[in-house]
Order: sequence, then C-alpha cells, then structure tokens
Amino acid sequence: MTKRTVYLDYAATTPVDPVVAAAMRECLEPDGNFANPSSSHSVGQRARRRVEEARAQIAARVGVPAETISFTSGATESDNLAIQGVLLAHRDRGRHLITSRTEHKAVLDTAEAMEKQGFEVTYLSGDSEGLITPDQVADAIKDDTTLVAIMHVNNETGVVQDIAAIGECCRSREVLLHVDAAQSIGKVPVPLDQWAVDLVALTAHKAYGPKGIGALYVRPGTKLAPLLHGGQQEGGVRPGTLATHQIVGMGQAYELADAEREAPALAALRDRLWAGLSAIEGVRLNGHPTQRSPHVLNVAFPGVDGESLRLGIAEIAVSAGAACNSTAAEASHVLSALGLSDALAGSSQRFSVGRFTDTAEIDYVVERVTAEVARLRELAGGAPAWCVT
Amino acid sequence: MDYSLEVQQRFHSPQGAGEIAEGTPGLATGEAEDRTLNVWIRVQVQIVGTVIRSVRFRVFGCPHMLAAAGWVAEALQGRERNALRELDMHEIRKTLDAPLEKLGKLLVLEDALQACWRAHDVPAQGQKGI
Repeated sequence: MTKRTVYLDYAATTPVDPVVAAAMRECLEPDGNFANPSSSHSVGQRARRRVEEARAQIAARVGVPAETISFTSGATESDNLAIQGVLLAHRDRGRHLITSRTEHKAVLDTAEAMEKQGFEVTYLSGDSEGLITPDQVADAIKDDTTLVAIMHVNNETGVVQDIAAIGECCRSREVLLHVDAAQSIGKVPVPLDQWAVDLVALTAHKAYGPKGIGALYVRPGTKLAPLLHGGQQEGGVRPGTLATHQIVGMGQAYELADAEREAPALAALRDRLWAGLSAIEGVRLNGHPTQRSPHVLNVAFPGVDGESLRLGIAEIAVSAGAACNSTAAEASHVLSALGLSDALAGSSQRFSVGRFTDTAEIDYVVERVTAEVARLRELAGGAPAWCVT
Repeated sequence: MDYSLEVQQRFHSPQGAGEIAEGTPGLATGEAEDRTLNVWIRVQVQIVGTVIRSVRFRVFGCPHMLAAAGWVAEALQGRERNALRELDMHEIRKTLDAPLEKLGKLLVLEDALQACWRAHDVPAQGQKGI
C-alpha cells in the first residue's frame, strides 16, 4: 500500500481556511487595515471597524450581543481570565470552585493554582462515559461556591455536556457558570442566548481560524478582575493592542463555522471510521456513544502500546490518549477519570476529522491501523492480562 | 517524539521477534514487567554449551523497547551466556539515541535478560541443560 499523509488531528488544531487567510492578509499589508485599532486617525478607525465587524460575527455565531465578547490570546487565557477573574472578584462572597476531572488542563491547572492561593476546589467525577449530571453539580454547591467551570465538548473524547441543564442548576443557586467551548464551534451549536451561562471561553484555531486569538464571553453585569494591566482595551478586562488580523481571521472563521451545516458530514466521516475500526478485535469506544461531538473518536486498542501504534502509522496524524514520553507512562487524566486502566488509556488514540477530511482518507486509516494493531499484537504475543484490560 | 533512524528501522523490522519452540535443548526464558511503565517483555535464548545460539523476544511496550529488544537479540547472538548479565542499558540507550526518560523501560529489558541467565543457571548445574 502506498503511504499517504493523513491529518486526523483537527481537535488539536485546524488549518486556516483559505477564505480566512485572505481576510487576514488584507489586514497585514501596507494598503490594508494594518493600523492600531485604538488609534484615532482614519486608518486606525478603519481597522477598528474591521475589529468590531469580527466581534459581531463571533457574537452572532453564539447568539449574544457583540459587546459581551472580549478578545484574548486563546481559550487558555480565556479560561484563566474567567476562573481567576471571577474567584478574585468574588472572594469576599466565597472561595469555592467546582469543576470536573475531565476538564482541559487550562481549567485544571488554573484551579490548582487557585487552590494554592487558598481557594477550595471540588473536582466532580463523571460517569464511565464522561457525563456530569446537573444533580452532581447541585450536590456539590455550597454556601460559599462562587463559580462552576464545566467544559462543553471534551477535547479528548468529544463528550458533550448538558450545559443548558447545568446552567439552570447554577442559576437557580445563584452560582456563576464558566464553560470552555473551545472544541464546540462549527461542530455543535453553542446557543448562549438559550443557556444560563455567565462566561464562555472561545478560540479560533479549532475552527479554521488562526492560532493566538480567542475570546471570552462575559454576561453583562458579571464582576471580573483583570489578569493584565496596561490599557483600557476590551473594557479594561484584557488590555493590550488588538491584533487586527487575528481578530478578523477569527471573525471570518466563525462566520463560516456553521455547526448545523457541517456536523452531518463530520459525523458521517467519524461513523465510517468507527465502523472500520470496530472490526478490530477488542477495541472499545471511549466516551459517550451518542452524546458526543461529530468530529472526535477516541478508541482504545487493548494489547497495543499507544506510542508504538502512533509510530507504526506515523504518516497519519492522530493524538495520544496519554503522555508517553514521561518517566512513568502517564495516563490521560480524562481517560483515567472514565475508569480506564493505565494500559487501556495508554493504548487509546484520538482521531478527529475536519472540513478537509475525505472518505478515502478514512478508509486508508482503517486499513493502516488494522494492520499495525495486528503487527503489534503479534509482537506482544503472550503478554499478561494487564496489558489488555 | 523524535526517533533516531536506528530506532525507526528496528521498530519497523524487529530482528529476533518471535519464539523458540518449547522443548528446544538449552532453552532459557526470562520475563520482566513494570506496570507503572506499561512494559512487559519475554526473552528466550538457546544456549549450547556456554554460547548463545539464538535469541527471541516478545514485547509489549514503546518503540524504544522494541528497538532495544531487537538490538539486544542481535548483539547476544554467538556471545558467551554471561553476556546476558553484562549488557549495559545505559550504553544501549545512547546507541539508540533514546531519551533519558526511557532508561527505566530499558532496565525492564535488563531484568528479563538477568532472569534468562538465572533460568539457564539451573540446567547449567546439571539438571537438564545440554
């Protein structure tokens, strides 16, 4: 079989859509909208208008007023700003944060940092399919809880949390809710106008926009302490010169990212991939079978070392369920939270499809993975039970 | 992770992978594992007199483990049985250009080789060796 390069790591990042790249280029060149959007001269004001158009495009995609969107460097900064900003701004009211064990490190590491500053954090464990229920959230809320941080689409498993129900639960208890929606845009609808959420982290590069730009939705009236100081940009919540080309790119990317239009094709590709891979003996799907995003498929291959599988199919870009280059074979915290053994978590691969994936690529991946799993299992013949369970 | 050319070649074409048939005269088997590192290896050697005639292995582990097992299988062929306990995993790691954090896994291979040497030690005392 002739080897071909296949990119199935769209959950890690996406290429910039050519339409987005063209919009960005227009903001970089001497005759374009390159000026500082905070400048009062006409060139600056032209750039300002492009920034505000992009803000409106992003706001429209998630159904909120444009003025509720603040630009950041990405979802990691947005998560930090939301969590630290809310906890610090409300510390006189309470010092308790609730989150889940399957969050992105941008949330978990921030929560840990806040613990070191004296805040208390409750980490919810989902069920074996990765779901957090509103009842779990309700049970964890205490008198001094100020914030709940639960992600919408899990970056490793694609599991989609019921943010509408969790939001209602938080609102009824007068606790703020922050949602990391970095994986959602263009795959799953994010109807913020229908959700009782207070803060939402967004990013561009998972939705065919550029890296280095993101946004934070802040519900009007939500008190937030800034992390950075140095100007009044973005209402003082996030000072710093606005990156016009990045912002314009994000706006264009969000305008293109219509989940209702793109999701069926993504789901068909994902299902075709699973149909092929599930023929391999013993494989298991990690995460929820139905309540999941159309672009992610996380699969455990019992009896196979994940790092070896990835090298065996090196021409196919997929991601680990585990960090395999550490001293100990550190299992994915998400898969461990789902109850997988280190061996199973270590065998797992995240496949994520995108706008430029085609069925021929999926068929090629199925064929290559099937062959490589068979080869590695043969090499490990006679391995003890812990390697496969 | 970047892999040296030698690791890539040995990973894709592992020399010595497989088994020596049970009942083969002079057969010694050594097994070792480290569950925290997700590594298991079984090494089989056939020793004729004091010389290692053939080496086979089975591995559940990362590419460096597979490459190291293949390298060891090749290196042991034709050597005195004491080579089973004399191979230096630090040197093998450097030869394969494996990162330092892989040393722990390679030491599991060393354990399997030592177990092989001990397994052969019993017949060498006159019970069932050749």
